[in-house]
Amino acid sequence: MDKYSIMVIDDEKIVGDMAKMSLEQEGYDVEAFLNAEPALARLKEKKFQVVVTDYKMKGIDGMEVLRTVKKEYPGTVVIMITAFANLDAAIEALRGDVHDFFPKPVKIKELKESIRRALSGS
Amino acid sequence: MKIETKLIISNTINAAFIILIGFFAFQNMNLVLTKLRFVEIADDLNASFLEMRLSEKNFFLYHDPNALAVIREKISSTAATLVAAKKDIIPAIGETDLKKLESNLSDYSDVIVAAGRSGRPASPDLEAKIRASGRKLQEYSESITNLERRRVNDIIQSSKKILIFSFWAILATALLISHYISQKIVRSLRAIEKMTRLISEGHFHMIEGFQTKDELGVVITAINSMSEELAHREEEIIQSKKLASLGILTAGVAHEITNPLNNISMLAQTYDELYEKLSEKDRVGFMRKVEEETERIRKIVKNLLDFSKPKDSNPNEADINAVVHKTLTLVQNMVDVSNVETKLTLDERLPSVFVDEHQIQQVLVNLITNAVQAMSTGGKLFIATRAGKRGDSVEITVMDTGKGIAPEFLPHIFDPFFSTKGEGGTGLGLSVSYGIIKNHQGEIRVESKVGVGTTFTVELPIYHREEKNDG
Repeated sequence: MDKYSIMVIDDEKIVGDMAKMSLEQEGYDVEAFLNAEPALARLKEKKFQVVVTDYKMKGIDGMEVLRTVKKEYPGTVVIMITAFANLDAAIEALRGDVHDFFPKPVKIKELKESIRRALSGS
Repeated sequence: MKIETKLIISNTINAAFIILIGFFAFQNMNLVLTKLRFVEIADDLNASFLEMRLSEKNFFLYHDPNALAVIREKISSTAATLVAAKKDIIPAIGETDLKKLESNLSDYSDVIVAAGRSGRPASPDLEAKIRASGRKLQEYSESITNLERRRVNDIIQSSKKILIFSFWAILATALLISHYISQKIVRSLRAIEKMTRLISEGHFHMIEGFQTKDELGVVITAINSMSEELAHREEEIIQSKKLASLGILTAGVAHEITNPLNNISMLAQTYDELYEKLSEKDRVGFMRKVEEETERIRKIVKNLLDFSKPKDSNPNEADINAVVHKTLTLVQNMVDVSNVETKLTLDERLPSVFVDEHQIQQVLVNLITNAVQAMSTGGKLFIATRAGKRGDSVEITVMDTGKGIAPEFLPHIFDPFFSTKGEGGTGLGLSVSYGIIKNHQGEIRVESKVGVGTTFTVELPIYHREEKNDG
């Protein structure tokens, strides 16, 4: 079976690094980005099954990533993480067909579980 | 003295003046009447004396005994008149002159009686006596009549003068007193007006140089104690306003902390999960990162604590750009979540300033919060530092692309309790900022255009080394 590809977008470098290390242990192919522009460009070159994105970012933010991905790559699952955990943000994300929504600090185990469910569902 | 008392006193003085003059005029009028009555009687007397002298002439020319009878009759009727009119004559000419007149008359009567007794033409000696006595009587009577006429005239003339003089005196006194009182009132009112305007602009001074104990003095004392109280409260207001902005900041700061917290958490989880597979170097690297992220949190918390701590003004040499950066750690998140893009243009070669960093931070937090609130649908926030135009100051500008401030509100935005935010604003933020900048010998200015945006410029004097020696 081909490796699943996962993209992580967060302007905090440690988030990308840790997610990459941890998820690679599960056998995923992981690419991390510090902001959305190069990430969206990368999506044009390569198919990712899951995109994990921060909600609040400079420039293109998480909601815009969600909308773009859902429009351009409907098969790709989006999981959102945010330090700014409020109900409005969660509702907005759910309306945009987000797969899951995690407030920071993120439990890596839960993130992995969510990714696993997303992939088994697809 | 109370203004009311002053008015009562001045009115009483004027009334007393008028009564006095009235009384004087009445007295004069009575005197004139008395004199006139006498002059009337005197005219009759003079006519009688003239007739006596005519009969006297007839007697001498024609030796007519009837002439003597006529004279005698005239003498007795005149004497009767003098007695009857005594009441009117004495007040006019006095008893002495009346007595003299009477004695002159009786002298004349004596010589006339003597002439009648002789029965013949009078001797030249007696004739001379009669003539002399008659002339004396007539002249004396005429002279007192003329004197009284002149007196009447004099009295009327002097009354006229006194009345004219007192008219001007009363008028002048009334005008002077009312001018003095109104000047005092106007002067006090102007001082009060100026002071209340200054207070409304946030300067709490005392009205000095007014020791009046009148009603306005009471008002001035009240305003002074109010001003004192306001000055006293200003410190408290600065502090409470700071606590209010702290409320806004806390939400942002909580989020600011969440990121490093998440980093630490993820480092710990990964460390735990991958412990076996990590090299010694990796493990050390993980711990270093945990330490770094902890430091990040510590800084944020320290900033917030410093900001909230009440403290007396403590100015120090400071780099204005560093103050701007520190402020941004407090507000950055609030700015970001409001869909506002921040653009910083800091001049790195600026001289240092001598400021209380926390107070300047408070001003900047306030200006940035206002800017963000003015851009409810998002926008751009430009924060810049540059050298002041005069070369002895630095400028910080906070510019937004918000809804702007209406021109009629602009002159009032630094007034305490003036707010354009409806119930959401206390109207204290900008007035507190104004007070802080004024205390730094700086300036705060605003330019705004409705629908375009608002720019606040804070100008602070640059640091001169001797200031440190002073302090």
